[in-house]
Parts: sequence; structure tokens; C-alpha cells
Amino acid sequence: MAKKFFCPLLLLLLLPESFSADNPTDRRLLILVDDLTIRSSHSLFFKSLESRGYSLEFRLADDPKISLQRYGHYLYDGLVIFSPSVQRFGGSLDQAAVLDFVDAGHDLILAADSSASDLIRGIASDSGVDFDEDAEAVVIDHVSYAVSETDGEHTLIAADDFIQSDVILGEKRIEAPVLFRGIGHSVNPSNTLALKVLSASPSAYSASPRAKLSSPSLTGSTIALVSVVQARNNARMLITGSLDLFTNRFLRSSVWKAGSSNKYEKSGNEQFVTEISKWVFHERGHLKAVNMTHHFVGEKTEPAVYRINDDLEYSIEIYEWSGTSWKPYVADDVQVQFYMMSPYVLKTLSTNLMGLYSTSFKVPDVYGVFQFKVEYQRLGYTSLSLSKQIPVRPYRHNEYERFIPAAFPYYGASFSTMAGFFIFTIVYLYNK
Amino acid sequence: MAKSSSTDAVTLIRSLRSAYAATPTNLKIIDLYVVFAIATALIQVVYMGIVGSFPFNSFLSGLLSCVGTAVLAVCLRIQVNKENKEFKDLAPERAFADFVLCNLVLHLVIMNFLG
Repeated sequence: MAKKFFCPLLLLLLLPESFSADNPTDRRLLILVDDLTIRSSHSLFFKSLESRGYSLEFRLADDPKISLQRYGHYLYDGLVIFSPSVQRFGGSLDQAAVLDFVDAGHDLILAADSSASDLIRGIASDSGVDFDEDAEAVVIDHVSYAVSETDGEHTLIAADDFIQSDVILGEKRIEAPVLFRGIGHSVNPSNTLALKVLSASPSAYSASPRAKLSSPSLTGSTIALVSVVQARNNARMLITGSLDLFTNRFLRSSVWKAGSSNKYEKSGNEQFVTEISKWVFHERGHLKAVNMTHHFVGEKTEPAVYRINDDLEYSIEIYEWSGTSWKPYVADDVQVQFYMMSPYVLKTLSTNLMGLYSTSFKVPDVYGVFQFKVEYQRLGYTSLSLSKQIPVRPYRHNEYERFIPAAFPYYGASFSTMAGFFIFTIVYLYNK
Repeated sequence: MAKSSSTDAVTLIRSLRSAYAATPTNLKIIDLYVVFAIATALIQVVYMGIVGSFPFNSFLSGLLSCVGTAVLAVCLRIQVNKENKEFKDLAPERAFADFVLCNLVLHLVIMNFLG
């Protein structure tokens, strides 16, 4: 009985702490909107989030009571900015506060549209994604547009150039094209943290549909429609130039890509936004590495120091967060480095399919302070970067080999010169 | 030409032998000792060339014991040679004592480095 009584109390205590390193899925989302009608016009997306256990808090973007943190603790795990036209956030929130929120390891979804304000563009460009600077420009595609009765300007695009990554978009292939209407952005190719998830077709360009066309700044498949950024602290961001991508209308719409014989009853939007929001809020692709151990072959305890040319065994456990529990991560490309300024040993670890990765190798014939290093960066997964320091000593003076057969002639030579010296002394002294 | 040069060589060696025959016996003993040391050193170098330099410290100590012995013997020879005016004030007994002491130090070092 007492247990039953305590349970809700315990839950209340645990709930604010439910997001942690051991439970990395976001729980509390703050959703900023321009007006509260978005709550109903995008309700399918929000419902899918709620059904996956997120608690959503809707606020007008200029609500003066908005604050992301209180007493130094963040009140939310994720931020969804569905307010493209806001000039200034209310309360204590501003561009720097949003970036601090991400720097603290929290996640962000940012959706703009053709009315995107400088504030929204600023957040995007600080994240490594640049929206087309022309405020009038939208993405236009006269070849792979979605056929519709109302759109004669071909700004409603049926995009199907997805990134090839099961971990970002889910294992199930997205068959139907995704409907997109909004502004395009570009990602600097040298930026390794930002990825184009959905690119425009080669025939697309970004320009104002009403003005006379003169060399558009963004063309072809360099236009990114949806991008994700995974920061070095594993915070994830989704940035797109189309707020309509998430609307019920697009999620429920049928899609017929121009020139294609396939007419889909339902666009790919619902699957796309669901799967990518799973990735952004760490339901997928979040790795953790634990129990990095090493020991002599045939032993169990971890020594404080190795000697050169010792044989050792190394193991590490890697798990992937499935949204509810940690599952063994299976891959054949995890490598360990035995590192001192540069890797002296680089070995691919073999896995037992239960999350345990192990290998054995010989310590190189070099002494110094080494590190066991695992640097694992794969598309869509959080990056693993672990190291453990271990000194390697040379042989002690009594550990060297003695009486080597190959050296017998040298021993013989030394002793014979000694004997020669003795005989020489006698002969020299007594020859008179 | 070839005949005359070979006869020259023969004459040269003859004159060298007759000149060397005049050397005192104690210097001849030292010369023999030096030849022995150098021969041992050469054998070790050839052996190292065949087998490889693996116990390199052993090789070095073996070689250096021979070379050191030869050097010390040559030093002794310089000092006890009566015709060498530079050391005429140095007693041959004193020179020999120095030689023995240096040899003891040399072989102590060699023993430590050998194994």
C-alpha cells in the first residue's frame, strides 16, 4: 500500500530529470508559434510527438513570459521554432539564448517560410545553414513540381532526393515524394556537421516568382530543402525553409509529381517528418560507449602499466539508444588506436553482437605514455570520442635475455683477450 | 717492368725483415700480442656481418675489448721503446704498471657491457 502511495511522488520527482545521459530522448518541448492556429493546422505532427511521449508547451513567440531556463537549469529538452516571421522573441529569449540552448546539448527544429525574419535567418546562419538572402525568393522547379490545381508558379515542389541514411530517415524507404513550399538554403560543403537531408532537383532554382528572373543565387541540387546539423556536443538541429512541410494539409495530401506516372494517395511528408523528428529528438542514432577495459592476455585485472612487446586485450561496449532502451550496437568498422602523438596501432574491433567489441594486439616496441583511443564518427550517429591513458615502460635491466647463443663468439673473444692479457703479462715479465 | 717491380717488392720485404730482426725481444712480444688482438677483432666483424647485429652490446664489447687491448699494447710499446727519446725519463716498470691498471679497468667495463 505504501509503495502505491509513493509511486506517483517518485514519478513526479523523476519526471523533470527524465532526460539524462542514460535516457537521452528529449521529453519537454517548447514550441514557439506566430499564432496559435498553427496548433491546429499542424496538429498531426504535434499529435505524433505527443503519442511518442513528449510533453509539448505552446507559446506565442513574442510572449513576454518565455524563458528557457530557470535558476540555471533548462526547463526544456528541445525547442521547436514554428514562428518564421517573428522579429524579436519575447521574454529573455533571443538569438544568443537559442544558441546557448543548443550549446548546452539540447535540440532544435527551425522552420522558416518566405516571410522569414532576420532573427530566424540569423539563427540558421549561426548553425551553418544559409537561407537565400533575397527576401522574395522561393524555391521554384518547373520540372519536378507537384501537380496541383491552384499553383501555377511551380513553387509547390515534390522532392524525393533524400539522404541515403537509415539512421536519419528510418529503415523504411520513403516512397512518395515530399511536398515542399518555401525558401531554399545552402550548406557549406566544407561544413562536416551540417547535412542536406532533402535536396532540390537539378532543375530547381531560388528566385522570386513574380519578379523578372535574373541569375538566381541558388540553383540545382545545391539547394537544400531540409538540413540537419549535429553539433560536436551531439545536439541536433533540423532546419528547413518550409513551415508548410509539417502542415496537416501536406501530410494528408495526395501527391503527383509532374512527369511521373505514379500518383500517390498520400505524400511522403508524414513519414518524413515523423522519422526525422525521431532522429532530431534522439530516439535513434544515439550511441554510448561504456566499460572500456584492457588487460594482459589471459588475465582479468587492468594493469597500471604495460611493458613494450606485451600482448594485451582491449574491449569496449557500445550501445545504441532505441528510444526506450539501450540495444547492442552492431557494426564492423569500430577501430581502436594505440596512440602517442600518432597511432602506433590501429585495430578494427570484432563484436560479439551483444554490444561488446574486443581485440588483442602487441604493444609496440616503443615506450612512453600511450592512450587507447576510440574515435567513431558515422553519418547520423552521435560521435564517440573516448580515450584512456596508459604508460608503457621499457624492459627492466634484469628482464633482458642472457647468454644468447648468437653472442657466444663475442663472449669468447672477450675472455680470450683477457686470457691473452694474462699470458702476455707472464711472458713479458719473464722473457729476460 | 713487372719483373723489376716484383723483385723490388722482394727486396723491400727482405730489408724490412732484416731491419725488424734487430728489434728487441720484448717489443716483438708486444707486436705479437697486438696482432692477436687485431685478428680477434677482425674475426668478430666478419661474424657480425654473417649473423647480424642482434646482441649489439655483446658485439661492441667483444670488439672494443680487442681494440682497447691493441691500443693499450701499442701505448706500452711506445713507452718501453729505448729508441723513443720522448719517454726516456719514464721507467719501463712504471709503464708496465700503467698498462696493467688500464687493462683491468678496460676488462671491468667490458664485463659489465657484455651481457
